[in-house]
Amino acid sequence: MKKIPQYLLFLFLGSLYSANLESTFLVFNHFDRDLPAAEQALVDNFNNSTFEFDPSIYHMFENLDNHENPAASHMVTIKELGEKYQVNYILFNRIEHIDDRFILNGLLFNTRSGGLIHRRKVDLKQYLNGQINELNMWVGNTVGQVEKNWENNRKSILFSGPEEINYEKTPRGAAIRSLAAPGWGQAYSGKKVSAGLWASTESSLSLAAIISFLNYDKAAKSFKNNSKLYHGTNDEKEVTNYRAAAENDWNDHVKFSALAIAFAGATGTGWVANSIHAWIVGPRAYKNLYQKWDPKSTNTTG
Amino acid sequence: MKCHRGQLIIILACLGVYSCTIFEKDFDNPVDFEANEEKGIGAPTLVFYPKTQTKATSDSVKVGSFIVFKEDSTKSFVGVHLQIEFPNALLELDTIKPGLFITDTSNATPLFTYTYDSINTIDIYTYFLDTLKKDLEGTGHLADLIFNPVGVGSDSIFYNLDECEMINHQDAQIDINGERGAEVIIQ
Repeated sequence: MKKIPQYLLFLFLGSLYSANLESTFLVFNHFDRDLPAAEQALVDNFNNSTFEFDPSIYHMFENLDNHENPAASHMVTIKELGEKYQVNYILFNRIEHIDDRFILNGLLFNTRSGGLIHRRKVDLKQYLNGQINELNMWVGNTVGQVEKNWENNRKSILFSGPEEINYEKTPRGAAIRSLAAPGWGQAYSGKKVSAGLWASTESSLSLAAIISFLNYDKAAKSFKNNSKLYHGTNDEKEVTNYRAAAENDWNDHVKFSALAIAFAGATGTGWVANSIHAWIVGPRAYKNLYQKWDPKSTNTTG
Repeated sequence: MKCHRGQLIIILACLGVYSCTIFEKDFDNPVDFEANEEKGIGAPTLVFYPKTQTKATSDSVKVGSFIVFKEDSTKSFVGVHLQIEFPNALLELDTIKPGLFITDTSNATPLFTYTYDSINTIDIYTYFLDTLKKDLEGTGHLADLIFNPVGVGSDSIFYNLDECEMINHQDAQIDINGERGAEVIIQ
């Protein structure tokens, strides 16, 4: 029990020493678009830290997750780099742009242990100077220096009240539209190719069903007419001719009836399938919205 | 939207129902040897046309008598004897006219006669005589019988096949293999 105050004193002095110790970083930036202000922003915003930049090494971190133990996959190399550049940490930042979004993938290695000590992956809609702002927040988080204005910048693109979000487009809306007109739901969801495919397929099937039905109707009417003429004459040749014509009409009306039923069935089935497909590919939120974890919450699942 | 869906379902249902209607083939003209064959009546056949008719008591009833041959097995003939029985409770004989088939090229029927027993049996005798050809071949119209209704009801006019005969120009008999009567309905 007497040793406890000594341990506490040691911990206090240790943390005081480490807080005042200047962090040195070797930074590997790998951006798919040119961000000329990124390096200078880090230097300007984090005066207590020293940054060395080397754009040449980034390949070694490309497939980190394929390793059995990603955190310890490059320990020797990290230590060697630490000794070579005389830095405490190695920071790898990769930014990729996909449409109107960007993904920041950040890795922080400790050169003393060689292990991965911090990792961040951010997938966000682009906003003004968003890439620089996110870099600042990521590095600021690692050095314990996050400025309020960076957080405010990010908040400017986030919904303050997710429960108030009113979705203008829904899968149900897409399904109902496709039920009314095949392909409409897919077009409504922005799926132009499948919209065109569904519309053309259903149009073709419907047209085939209608044409078959019209041919059936024509053959049925002709059959009735020729049957009437057949029964209405006692001329041997006319009887033979009307019978032959009526027999042909009868065969045609059976054939076109079967075709009309088949095409109508295919149209109906396709119509329903099209509506279900519209619901499946219907517009949904691009990403899940996460609620900030509340430490006071009794929900221990996080 | 519900209205559109309802219309769509109705259209598809109507399309299905109407498409499903398959009409029955009803080829039963007595002058058609195929129809007679389908009924098991062999050719040559003595038939009446129309096979059934409905008349009022004020109308006259006209029935045509025909000989029907199978298309690919016709036989030449010149003379015919028909014995016809009719329901005298329903009809009385008015007129008998020669058919077009046995009328010669001069529009004459020099040998066409009949006897009526004044009860219900008519015997028609006819022999084709022409300057251009000596016999007839194929299906044709032998005679028209015109009756007057005397009562109300339905009954049949038919051939007495045992007494009916057909001969060729060499006086050889040609077998008659079947007959079909005619139904008359007087209202």
